Amino acid sequence: MKLHRINALLLKYYYITINRVDRLFDIVYWPIIDLFIWGFTAFYIQELSDVNVLSMLLGGAILWVFVWRASQDIAVFILEDFWSRNLYHLFSSPVRLSEHLTSIIMIGLFRALATFVLMWIVAIAFYSFNILTISPLIIAFAVFLLTLFGWAVGLFVAAFIFRYGQRIQVLAWSVTFLLQPFVCIFYPLSVLPEWAARIAVVLPPTHVFEALRAAIYNQAINYAGLWYALIAELILFVIMAFFLQAAFQRSRKTGLLAKGD
Amino acid sequence: MDCIEVYDLVKTFKEKGKEIVAVDSISFKVKKGEMFGLLGPNGAGKSTTINILTGLLEKDSGTVKILGFEPEKNWEFVKNNSNVATAYSWLSDVLTVRQNLRVYAKIYGVKNTEKRINELLEMFELGKVADRKVIRLSSGENTRAVLCKGLINNPKVLFLDECTVGLDPDIADKTRNIIKNYQKENDAAILFTSHYMYEVEQLCDRIAFMSNGKIISIDTSSNLKKLIKKHTVEIAVKKDIKPLMELLKTEGVEIIFAKDNSIVFEVTTEHDKMYKVISKIFHKGFMLSNLHVKGPTLDDVFIKIARQK
Repeated sequence: MKLHRINALLLKYYYITINRVDRLFDIVYWPIIDLFIWGFTAFYIQELSDVNVLSMLLGGAILWVFVWRASQDIAVFILEDFWSRNLYHLFSSPVRLSEHLTSIIMIGLFRALATFVLMWIVAIAFYSFNILTISPLIIAFAVFLLTLFGWAVGLFVAAFIFRYGQRIQVLAWSVTFLLQPFVCIFYPLSVLPEWAARIAVVLPPTHVFEALRAAIYNQAINYAGLWYALIAELILFVIMAFFLQAAFQRSRKTGLLAKGD
Repeated sequence: MDCIEVYDLVKTFKEKGKEIVAVDSISFKVKKGEMFGLLGPNGAGKSTTINILTGLLEKDSGTVKILGFEPEKNWEFVKNNSNVATAYSWLSDVLTVRQNLRVYAKIYGVKNTEKRINELLEMFELGKVADRKVIRLSSGENTRAVLCKGLINNPKVLFLDECTVGLDPDIADKTRNIIKNYQKENDAAILFTSHYMYEVEQLCDRIAFMSNGKIISIDTSSNLKKLIKKHTVEIAVKKDIKPLMELLKTEGVEIIFAKDNSIVFEVTTEHDKMYKVISKIFHKGFMLSNLHVKGPTLDDVFIKIARQK
């Protein structure tokens, strides 16, 4: 891997971010809308039941951004190259797949951090909720685990894009939303029906959000769950990286990379 | 020195369970400072060959060497010293021309980036649209922007796949001159594909004709034209053409077209047949108002090879 090529691609994705309104909306508009919806929902629930759900709902909404951005940015930035039929020039240049992915992962992380900072400020300004007061260590670990999971999901979707082309682009937007009900962002694992709980308990982010809720309500944190999440995500990430590499090689064999559609 | 070496290259695709041979055991070499044309009808295997040489497509078998190295084994050197331009693939359309060129200059590790970009923009007359997004460019501007990218790293080996499609005649002529000058000044090896025969004839030192994935013939354009053993003759006479038609029929030439006072016929280049026929026309006292003899062109070669399919 060459740093100057990663820098070049970072510059490219920076240009795409500032030139395309959709990509700016990803980091500003949708997360803020989410924050307002969950903030006002929390106000309403508190009026009805006197239970403090604000921290849980807003904390979940703010941290989910890392899964969302990390996964979607990998898929969407690869799709950008498909849409503009630019893969031809990119992969006939010295750029390697590893450099391409590293740059996309990095720009995704910057964009997720930008969204996090924005949501953090808006949450303080409108709801007097400061996520960093929960437990900086837990928050930092949660951010790491959720981002790692998002990358693994992003690599999975990217592999499908390289294997089947643009026709499965809907996966780029839908996979994270498909997972959302099962990873217990806004409610505890205990409320899920048995069949859904069986799925949820396998998914690493479930344990992260369970730990977040425990930290918010000063309950004992299940560290075993967090360790499980870490190990499972590392294994998942490595498997998905190999899966993507195999799909990319196949696209070189079938000609999809040259055709770019 | 051979800058591009291709030996027994084979590429097949599977489509609906059927195996399609896109490139069928082709071999050729391109020397330093040589412009080599790949010509052939659609589906002949030209673009597939270029895609393999640029690393976008995996070959089934055979050997490819660029600047003496196999690309898979010497990625950095080969990729940094080669480049490609094609009319069929755009630069990133969300970025401006200048932004795209900056990105590719950094990818190729070009020094004095802005100077090089400005040189290329000026060379291809893109200065006015340099800060316009690629999606807003005309197809001709797009093609030239891709050519700028193709030359950004001063490549020693350049692949040009139908790179003048969509250019108006004036810009196309200027572009051909730029390519020719670049080749001379940098002693670059260029592999060139085009459907425009005059362009290939004007630019390429040698030409390979491809059909059905195979190379039918590799030669200079003048030698290739010798494959067509006929001249086309157009004659206009001042009086009735019927006697002339009778004469031509007795000489056994193939009349293509006859109308009013004009007649077009084909005559073999062998045994000085054309000179004999024309001399007979003069000898018989026909008063000609026009005489035009057209030798074989690469178009004729192309059509002949395409129809052999």
